[in-house]
Amino acid sequence: LSSRWLVIAVGLVRAYLAKGSYHSLYYSIEKPLKFFQTGALLEEYLLIAKYLPGIVPSSVVLTAFQVMSRVFLTWAVTHSVKEVQTEDSVLLFVVAWTITEIIRYSFYTFSLLNHLPYLIKWARYTLFIVLYPMGVSGELLTIYAALPFVRQSGLYSISLPNKYNFSFDYYTFLILVMISYIPIFPQLYFHMLHQRRKVLSHTEEHKKSE
Amino acid sequence: FVSYQVEILDWKTKKQLCFLDKVEPNATIREIRLMFHKLYPRWYPARQSIKLDPKGKSLRDEEILQHLPVGTTATLYFKDLGPQIGWTTVFLIEYTGPLFIYFLFYFRMPFVYGLDERFTSSPHPVVNLACICHSFHYIKRLIETVFVHRFSHGTMPLRNIVKNCLYYWGFAAWLAYYINHPLYTPPSYGKKQINFAVIMFLLCEAGNFSIHVVLSDLRRNGSKTRKIPYPTKNPFTWLFFFVSCPNYTYEVGTWISFTVMTQCVPVGLFTLLCFIQMTIWAKDKHCTYLREFKDYPSLRMPIIPFLL
Repeated sequence: LSSRWLVIAVGLVRAYLAKGSYHSLYYSIEKPLKFFQTGALLEEYLLIAKYLPGIVPSSVVLTAFQVMSRVFLTWAVTHSVKEVQTEDSVLLFVVAWTITEIIRYSFYTFSLLNHLPYLIKWARYTLFIVLYPMGVSGELLTIYAALPFVRQSGLYSISLPNKYNFSFDYYTFLILVMISYIPIFPQLYFHMLHQRRKVLSHTEEHKKSE
Repeated sequence: FVSYQVEILDWKTKKQLCFLDKVEPNATIREIRLMFHKLYPRWYPARQSIKLDPKGKSLRDEEILQHLPVGTTATLYFKDLGPQIGWTTVFLIEYTGPLFIYFLFYFRMPFVYGLDERFTSSPHPVVNLACICHSFHYIKRLIETVFVHRFSHGTMPLRNIVKNCLYYWGFAAWLAYYINHPLYTPPSYGKKQINFAVIMFLLCEAGNFSIHVVLSDLRRNGSKTRKIPYPTKNPFTWLFFFVSCPNYTYEVGTWISFTVMTQCVPVGLFTLLCFIQMTIWAKDKHCTYLREFKDYPSLRMPIIPFLL
């Protein structure tokens, strides 16, 4: 589970060393990133629906949201708008996602094996404090960078008149997506902070009572 | 003659909110709600959820105290359902919105398509027809709300009205925008497509109305109990042979017709969402019927004959 993210992480490091610059980074991780992100969708639902209700107290809706946003960023933004692939913001969110996912899947794996090292639990519920904002910044900057190119090329947009009487402006849509981060991100963030307090203090009590 | 004592506790804190002495054994929950309301004026009866178990279902108004599994000192739990609004009121607001919002677009108010297009009218007859059909649909719904429907629950939570109105009003605006747009393109198959769609639309509206009348007649004497609806002499009601909720079937049919009539993707999307929502409601209703009636007709499916 976490091995696939290790693959990306190793690929990251290798590419950086080999090419000396992280701008061509995207090309080396592109295929695994896309493959794994899309695979993540299926996997998330499988995991959540089947194995984890008893083990992990995370909200299905929030996780689904997270996976959706990642698939969106990977396919609908970074893949579709070639010009943003050399942006630093892409590196920012890929790094944030990679570290988060390695920890998260280690957490799930160890939980399933009923042998969860405190370090993993701590890492999962603490590192997000930095990684979430990092990932969100990377995502927002990437979308923002894509805007002028979308406007110029009319990507994924339909205008009237047409025989289906429908119009869609991808540019406006992206702006709305960016705005939606304002109500959604704090909710996710505070949810994780709340989980942190609950989970880590619970462990403290456990330790004290032993 | 044994008189009961009723204590009502808060469902969460278990704090005693009131203690009613000398309650008659044949008192109904409705009467208890009224007594509770006298002590706590801001919690009117519709807001009160009174239950036997803190996490259980709310007791109905008609339940009688001595028929409940309680001793002569009954412990009941109270939960505040929040501000409530009557179903009739909700429907009236929900349906009046789309009616007038559509007109804003049909008459091309200046703020909609810009000053150059203000108050102009479309060269396509289908646009006028669509306005008539859309308005007819919502006027029919309003009339039914006032004269036909008999609701089993009196109220729903107030916050629902915001959610529901956003949905109905929002979609009405969205689809009206495209249908009445200066750049609207009429259906590809022209008059044939439009006429076919209009006929289907009228048939489905008639069907939907017939079903509503049948359902309303089941509760003619003001009772709130559920009965199995059956087909009548009206051919539109014969759909009851195949389906538990033909009113939803006809409703979806109406919107499909409207989609075909206008050939407009937003209308199609709205139709799809309506279909999903109504399928969920129909399945629910169907399951309730199956649970409550052992002799429920086995040929019936929830919303689509033989399929769904």
